[in-house]
Amino acid sequence: MPLNIVVCLKQIPNPDLQFQIAADGKDIRRDALNYKLNGADEYALEEAVRLKETHGGRVVALTLGPKRAEQMLREALAKGADEAARVTYDDPAAFDVGKNARLLAAAVRTLPHDLVLTGVQSDDYGNSATGGLMAGLLKLPHASVVTRVAFAGGRLEVACELEGGLQRVVALPTPALLSIQFGANTPRYAPLPAIMKASRQPIKEIGPAALGLTGWDALAVPYSFGIRGLSPPGAKGGAEMITGSVEEQAKRFATMLREKGFVRR
Amino acid sequence: MIVAEHLEGRVAPSTLELIAAGRELADASGGEARILVLGHAVEELARHLSGYMVNVLLADHPALAQYTGDGYVQAVRGVVESMHPRIILVAHTAQGYDFAPALAGALDLPLVTNCLALQLAGNRLVALRRILNEKVQAEVEVRSDRPIVVTLRPGSTKPQGTGRGMMSVTAVPLSIDPSALRVTFVRMERPEVQDIDLSGADIIVSAGRGIQKKENLALIEEFAKAIGGVVGASRPLTDMDWLPKSRQVGQSGKTVRPKLYVACGISGAMQHVAGMKDANLIVAINTDPTAPIFEIAHIGFVADVLKLLPATLKELKS
Repeated sequence: MPLNIVVCLKQIPNPDLQFQIAADGKDIRRDALNYKLNGADEYALEEAVRLKETHGGRVVALTLGPKRAEQMLREALAKGADEAARVTYDDPAAFDVGKNARLLAAAVRTLPHDLVLTGVQSDDYGNSATGGLMAGLLKLPHASVVTRVAFAGGRLEVACELEGGLQRVVALPTPALLSIQFGANTPRYAPLPAIMKASRQPIKEIGPAALGLTGWDALAVPYSFGIRGLSPPGAKGGAEMITGSVEEQAKRFATMLREKGFVRR
Repeated sequence: MIVAEHLEGRVAPSTLELIAAGRELADASGGEARILVLGHAVEELARHLSGYMVNVLLADHPALAQYTGDGYVQAVRGVVESMHPRIILVAHTAQGYDFAPALAGALDLPLVTNCLALQLAGNRLVALRRILNEKVQAEVEVRSDRPIVVTLRPGSTKPQGTGRGMMSVTAVPLSIDPSALRVTFVRMERPEVQDIDLSGADIIVSAGRGIQKKENLALIEEFAKAIGGVVGASRPLTDMDWLPKSRQVGQSGKTVRPKLYVACGISGAMQHVAGMKDANLIVAINTDPTAPIFEIAHIGFVADVLKLLPATLKELKS
């Protein structure tokens, strides 16, 4: 049975960077960031493409975000997605996961979907919430932290990672939503001809009207949300920092290991 | 309303943290904290929880014998509609973030996840979160007259201790339609036989992405050997199969409490820190001075681990 798969991808600032807080304290400074595809979403994309290769069907890569996210969608096309679509909600910060999930869910309703995949969490905000929220909103059965997916006879059997190395295996019918864990597979590299081809492929834009909204602020949510402020995390406790040249640091480290009795001599 | 997490007859440690946080929120806002236990044949577990200074609601149904997101959402829907809690408090664990967002989506409720601290005033919840690889703290505010679903990061609150006596256990009526449950439990899989049991080691030298190449593991091995330790790893390394899964320290791997933990090129994401923060002595080596690992480490070196370890080995041999 072929599968129509929608894989939700997020473009995030490279989390290895250092971040500065914007003057108004409500966002980080975004003028000198570089962006990348969220880590867990790479595995969700790969899982989507593999399922399509095995069972047939189509993969639509879906995102929500500003124009810059198109670069990430082209990467997804080069790695095997058949189509790409962007919900053009262009708040660069988009802190409200409830709003993001509601807009993405509305977009998914406009696309054929036997299976919706997301990454388990985004490395920028770490909510681990978009997939579950969408499942609830779309009334889809779901499973989270998925490390293994099997599809046969119209049913999915998936392994969900719990703490301490335990895995809970569950079965669910399609249509369904799965959030995919880091390391679930080995993501592929895009071949050069596919990159060239992807650079010319059209990317569908989904504006508010396509979702039945008069504007992005017209979305009904059962709450109001705000960022009161961002700050550097307080240095609570914190390490005693050993400074100096590498040789000096090494001397101190070795002395400490001896003094604490971790090495004899 | 706190939602208890339990597996195979045992309460998750995070649940006791939820009780403490829930009681504090309730005290500060003039309400009451209650804990909801969902399951089948879990009276004993419910009674046990009533010893932690909180009244227990027991939702017993054969369809809840094993956790499924579907079953829990259906069961909690009825309880929420009859009790109208201000806050629905869930642990930010693998099960918690499977359940809480789906509940919020299905019932159209506000949601804040992975919180470190909470304050409630009227219909306004202020939550402290960490974002961007733990490098930025965010204070977010949610106002709503609907129950707010909140997940609390494990380890952010001290667990509740037991009280003098037992509080009440009250059964809540449930109307679950088993035919509407779509997710079915198949089996539990346990980790394979371990090569080394990290959880018993006195000295652990763990490697993260900062070691850059698989070949550099040899250096970590050599250093671990020199100080009588074993090699552990952060998640990215075991995901890339540089080391077996049994070596992974963190929330989804091993929880360790060695006498010495050396974190080599590990940034200190929550997932890793959850598994090693209770080590007696934590030494962190990282090139990024803002890496969150330095917050929980006792001794920190801003250095390239590929340079510092060889230099330290040389010192140890001299």
